Amino acid sequence: SAERDPEKKMEEYAREPCPWRIVDDCGGAFTMGAIGGGIFQAVKGFRNSPAGMSHRLRGSVTAIKTRAPQLGGSFAVWGGLFSMIDCSMVKMRGKEDPWNSITSGAMTGAILAARNGPVAMVGSAAMGGILLALIEGAGILLTRFASSQFPTGPQFPEEGSSMPSPSFGDYRQYQ
Amino acid sequence: MPVAVGPYGQSQPNCFDRVKMGFMMGFAVGMAAGAMFGTFSCLRIGMRGRELMGGVGKTMLQSGGTFGTFMAIGMGIRC
Repeated sequence: SAERDPEKKMEEYAREPCPWRIVDDCGGAFTMGAIGGGIFQAVKGFRNSPAGMSHRLRGSVTAIKTRAPQLGGSFAVWGGLFSMIDCSMVKMRGKEDPWNSITSGAMTGAILAARNGPVAMVGSAAMGGILLALIEGAGILLTRFASSQFPTGPQFPEEGSSMPSPSFGDYRQYQ
Repeated sequence: MPVAVGPYGQSQPNCFDRVKMGFMMGFAVGMAAGAMFGTFSCLRIGMRGRELMGGVGKTMLQSGGTFGTFMAIGMGIRC
């Protein structure tokens, strides 16, 4: 691939170094799913309840209590498995690029649909891969847009003084 | 933790900016994903012509909104 410019260091998601990324992604995904599920289930429970404010509020709370942790759990499974595969690929390929994410998204989709048969696995893998490709593409576009808007590039703080270099730091330069 | 240098140069983008950007990015991704998967599933249930356009548009908006919300939350819990 083309030589990446140093502005690529300005990754929007400053991610954790690799072994800890699994924990970080798993917990972040759980929180995200629980909060997001809470919001959506609140609306859904409110609308599906019988008329009357107290019924509606109680329905909303019940829906949140039953469904939000479930959604958080399935997000956490996805995020944890995703970054486990991601980290394995970082270790195996020795570099960190969008293909890692795309492949691990597809593999995560395939593994999680494994009990539904091969057809479902292929469909789910395609969905995961396409979704992760879109997300990575959006990230790249965003970075490019941001660096074209400020042609001098961002002023990095003093390298080394405030930035502790992690042991996995050398992967970052490929990102 | 690496120092997060946002798209606004040295100044740290504040929380609301990050959440807003997360929502916008998620909305864009969700629209694109909704366009693909929505076209697929609307064609499969037999929509054609004008009806297909409406169906795909609805799916796009829905998935854009869902994705945007989740991305915004994902940004929000990290700042």
